[in-house]
Amino acid sequence: MSKPNDLVQGTLDLLVLKMLAFEPMNGWAIGQRLKQLSADVLQVSDGSLYPALHKLEQEGWVTAEWRQTENNRRAKFYSLTRAGRKQLQVEASNWDRLAHAISAVVRLQEA
Amino acid sequence: MSPGTRIERMLRIIPLRLRSLFHAGDVERELNEELTYHLEQQTAANVAAGMSPDAARTAALRAFGGVELRKEQVRDTRGTRWIEDTLGDVRFALRSLGRARGFSIAVILTLALGIGANTAMFTLLRGTMLKALPNRNGDRLVYLRLSAPGEKRVNTLFSVPEVADFRASSRTLGEIAEYSDVMPFTLVGTDGRIVRADAAVVSGNYFSVLGLDPVLGRLTDAHDDGAAAAPVAVLSSHYWMDHFGGDPGVLGRIIKMNGMPAQIVGVVQPAPQYPNPVDVFINTVTSPHHLGATMNTLRTHRMTEIFARLAPNASVEQARAEIGSIAARMIQDHPDSYQKAGQYTVALSTLRDAENAQARLTFWLLMGAAAFVLLIACANVSNLTLMRGLGREREMLLRTALGARGGRLRRLLLVENLVLALIGGGLGVLIALAGLRLLILFAAQFSPRSGEIHLDGVVLAVGVVTSIAAAIVLSYVPRIGSDRLLAASLAPASRRMTLGAGRRRVQRSLVAVQVAVCMVLLTGAGLLVRTLMNLQAVATGVRVDHVLTMSLPLGGDLIREMGDQPGNLARYTRMRDAVAALPGVSGAALGSGAPLRSSMMAFDINAENVAVRPDAPTPRAALTTVDPGYFEATGIPLVAGRDFASTDVRGSTRVVILSQSFARQLFGKENPIGRRIAPTGAVLKVTPFTGDWRTVVGVVGDTRNGGLDADVSPEMYEPFAQEVIIGASLVIRTASDPDQMKATVLRTLRAAFPDQLIEKVATVAEIRDESIATRRLNAMFIASFGGLALLIAMVGIAGVLAFSVRSRTSEIGIRMSLGADAGRVRRMVLSEGAGVLGIGLGAGAIGALFASRVLRGILFGVTPHDPITLGTVAALLGTIGVLACWLPAARAARVDPAVALRAE
Repeated sequence: MSKPNDLVQGTLDLLVLKMLAFEPMNGWAIGQRLKQLSADVLQVSDGSLYPALHKLEQEGWVTAEWRQTENNRRAKFYSLTRAGRKQLQVEASNWDRLAHAISAVVRLQEA
Repeated sequence: MSPGTRIERMLRIIPLRLRSLFHAGDVERELNEELTYHLEQQTAANVAAGMSPDAARTAALRAFGGVELRKEQVRDTRGTRWIEDTLGDVRFALRSLGRARGFSIAVILTLALGIGANTAMFTLLRGTMLKALPNRNGDRLVYLRLSAPGEKRVNTLFSVPEVADFRASSRTLGEIAEYSDVMPFTLVGTDGRIVRADAAVVSGNYFSVLGLDPVLGRLTDAHDDGAAAAPVAVLSSHYWMDHFGGDPGVLGRIIKMNGMPAQIVGVVQPAPQYPNPVDVFINTVTSPHHLGATMNTLRTHRMTEIFARLAPNASVEQARAEIGSIAARMIQDHPDSYQKAGQYTVALSTLRDAENAQARLTFWLLMGAAAFVLLIACANVSNLTLMRGLGREREMLLRTALGARGGRLRRLLLVENLVLALIGGGLGVLIALAGLRLLILFAAQFSPRSGEIHLDGVVLAVGVVTSIAAAIVLSYVPRIGSDRLLAASLAPASRRMTLGAGRRRVQRSLVAVQVAVCMVLLTGAGLLVRTLMNLQAVATGVRVDHVLTMSLPLGGDLIREMGDQPGNLARYTRMRDAVAALPGVSGAALGSGAPLRSSMMAFDINAENVAVRPDAPTPRAALTTVDPGYFEATGIPLVAGRDFASTDVRGSTRVVILSQSFARQLFGKENPIGRRIAPTGAVLKVTPFTGDWRTVVGVVGDTRNGGLDADVSPEMYEPFAQEVIIGASLVIRTASDPDQMKATVLRTLRAAFPDQLIEKVATVAEIRDESIATRRLNAMFIASFGGLALLIAMVGIAGVLAFSVRSRTSEIGIRMSLGADAGRVRRMVLSEGAGVLGIGLGAGAIGALFASRVLRGILFGVTPHDPITLGTVAALLGTIGVLACWLPAARAARVDPAVALRAE
């Protein structure tokens, strides 16, 4: 039996995009928020967040700027671009379809 | 993805990629800072959760999963990795090639020569053969030729009645255009200056049939045909450029063609001129002869070429069959115009084939030769690369052991070879560019399309593609990182890296073949050089130095001009005297032609009281009219009798002087002086000359007017003042350099005789050299090819030896530690090279003996198997070959036995 916190391939992008849809955030904060919101079910390895973030940035879905944090440190804050918002819709609906399909299969009554 | 979103994405990501590439420093620094921030935050959070600072940091790092690994993963997301890696590879390649400078230079030079030769030949081929004719739908154009093999006549051209037959009967040919180039016309330019131009009389439909467009004004059409049309002229674009400076104002101007005024109505686009170069196209009304009865009714008066466009849907084969049957019917209907023995036939070919006919074989052979040169060049380079590869197998193994994958190593090699090949290719294109002028001159001998030869984008692209292809081929030669090799390198015998005997034999045979090919080419060049030297040494029979000549033809309508004989004589005499009076001129004489230029007039000659044997050919001599100073000015010696005198004029006894060999031909050993001869034969009737008896008063030395390689020509001379004047040449002896007198003489003549056409201004030395110009060109061409092959072969032989030395380093070490000294090792390597060289030279000598037979026709004073040439070339090649072996031999002699053995 696989570990429950293994992320389905590609869903990390969706999660990150969704997080950033609320407000611009830095990488560390995104990781913390993910843990909080999913009640520690989704444990993204700290390091793997950054390749994902940079990939989204290189695709032009998120954009980054350096800002002061509340405790007066410089950090790289990511925010969603217009293209990113569109991409979020696409990926979210993809996820919905996938989730529905899978749960439909899983709920099949065995004869 | 739809195209729209794809473009959108491109627009979005390109600036990001560019930032990754060009602000790599900033991007890296930011990444560092970002990750550092994360780790610090995490550490702080861990401390807040109660860990000690050290444990907190360690836990943060562990949770992160390897900072460098993450950085690499981030870098991979940028999509610019391959560019960065490639740039790195290029930098690395340049560095490592910079270290192996000798290797790099040899490879670049070899590839440059190979690619250069190919680029040059491809340029030639493309310009003349591969490109479509510039004519509109040029592949639908056909050209007809009438030949009579029984009378040894090829392409006799057609008569107007014959053209009419084809036009009436042919269904496969659309329109038929007529073209006849005529004797050079005298053209009075719009500035009143008189010049000579090559003119062609064309039917009105000529330009539309050939599919040519005007670049200025209009071209001719059906309205320009016939006697009622206005005389018009169309300029060819090169003539318009050269003589009118491309002035659009020429339209509407009047030029005089042999005295007939014609209006310039247009300029035709540049196009290959077949069969001869033409300056001015004129309509039939501008050439009175073309309206005459002879031209239009006489079936054997053939001076018209037929160009035609295939009818829609007709194929070349159909047209060929149809024309054949029309011709057969025509020949049957007019037996008196086509003698059976002549075996008259009409052949049809596409215009493109007709234009290329002469060049096709030569050019394709040259292309093949160039491809062969490239093949050899690649083989040599691969030898060199292989040798370098041996030295690098350790490097490659080390890289493999450090984790570089096979593909990565292959790419490294590919980049290295690309750098070499592209530099070589660039140099090669420059070489081709430098040789282009020679190439065009060479091509002009064979093809009317030589003007279209130039380097263009396609040629450059082919050069680049050739370079890249060479690089790819070369990259797969050295073996890298295979398991077998890994095992081999771990075995103690790893340094004994040699090729199998078979492979080595292939390598050597290849070099031997190169040497042999060199030998063949250089022998050919050597034979031509010897020919040139022999020709230079031929006695022409005239004084070559300090003699300037120029032709002063009668202008305008020849027939009308010739009517005024006394006037012409007086005018030419005045011209002669004006030039003779110039300071620096030690003598001036008049003649109908310049020395060494063959006379246009040649007649069958009757000698009084000499019976000609019926089976012997009628004696025939060229006639030149000369004034009393001519022999002195040209240095032709008087052998017997007297020179002409000022009293030999019209009305006095007709006299003649014969050349020595012609006098002997006519009279044998008898004294010719006082005998009488007369011109005769069919040709005489159509000339203004008469068959009166002339008394021989003198004999002069022989000259070679037919060219340096021809036999002495039979010549007869008559007094300029006594014979019909149809034009004149001035022969001027100068005290100083005749070239410097040219300008003065021309200025004097032009000032005093502005209407006089002056042509062919040349020193006698130049006239002599004209007859060997083609040979010189061919010699230069073959010699450049030979030189190129030589360079490549020498790189080849040096490469193979270097390779052999390299792979035998340990063997040499053992030999030296057993007492062999440096000299002995050097001799060993040299003798290995000499073996290959010797086989190559031997094979080359045999090849040269066969190959130089094709040169037989253009050799002079030297046999195709001339031992001196063969010996000299072999010695030269041998010497250069040994020099090429010296480098690797010296390297072998420097092997330090201790180092070589320790490396085991």
